[in-house]
Amino acid sequence: MPEAGRETLEVEATVREALPNALFRVELATGTRAAVTAHVAGESSLLRLRPGDAVVVEIAPFDAGRGRIVRRR
Amino acid sequence: MSVQKCWSELQTMARACRIVVDALDALEAAAALGVTTKEMDRIAREHIEKAGARPAFLGYRGYPATLCISVNEEVVHGIPGPRKLREGDILGLDLGCIVDGFYGDAARTVAVGRASEEAARLMKVTRESLFAGIDACHPGKRVGDIGHAVQTHAESHGYSVVREFVGHGIGTSLHEEPQVPNYGPHGRRERLVPGMCLAIEPMVNAGRAEVEVLADGWTAVTRDRSLSAHFELSVAVTAFGPWILSEPYPYAQEAAHA
Repeated sequence: MPEAGRETLEVEATVREALPNALFRVELATGTRAAVTAHVAGESSLLRLRPGDAVVVEIAPFDAGRGRIVRRR
Repeated sequence: MSVQKCWSELQTMARACRIVVDALDALEAAAALGVTTKEMDRIAREHIEKAGARPAFLGYRGYPATLCISVNEEVVHGIPGPRKLREGDILGLDLGCIVDGFYGDAARTVAVGRASEEAARLMKVTRESLFAGIDACHPGKRVGDIGHAVQTHAESHGYSVVREFVGHGIGTSLHEEPQVPNYGPHGRRERLVPGMCLAIEPMVNAGRAEVEVLADGWTAVTRDRSLSAHFELSVAVTAFGPWILSEPYPYAQEAAHA
């Protein structure tokens, strides 16, 4: 019987740098990866993120270098 | 980190897996025109109980039956009921049992009567994908290598691999760490070590990969209603390579010379 897969992991992170095209460099609170490049998920309020903002980032269990910012925290 | 099993535990796992595969043989023989899926469930349960084991799925998170039987566009977790089998149906039969506290889990897809050429090809490729995954089960490789092998094989034939459900570690519970997706890059995820037991189970769709779960809360179907096939075996990683637990231990000679 297959298990319902957990597709993504949610981790707390802090925005470090705003990049072009709604991308942000964020630092994960877990500290395992220094930085991931994350794009914002849907909500336009997330477009106005600035360095230092606390967010929640969703990352795939395998491609840990990229993620999506799901919400502020 | 998954739990590593010792030799005697692997023996018990092997007994459980053997019972499941024997029951699947009986179910495959019984899959005929007009038989209901409920009747198939009864055969599965009788077989398991006669062998002195307990059904693993019955009551698991409220699952109401011994067998998962997924017809045609159903991917997995089909619940047995009054549905009658028809000529050319393909049936995903997924079954698990418990022996002395250890779980065995296996599945295969079979045709009722004569399968269409397309269905036969899908089943063949899905089965091959399972064995491609099993071939990756050597110590030092990683869980991602299994999924990569499965995905590469299935997609090279124009099929797609289901993402929402994954294989899993197996042992003293039905689902243990690690998860074993049937997709993804090689070289990632947990390292394989001797004594790990994994249920590898590609679910392959003839059309697109997306699935949805019906209102019963269990039955998963392909969103585009294309055919889907599912094969599964429980495998132990040994120092010599994969041991399909429902088969005799294949490395007795190597072990004797080691």
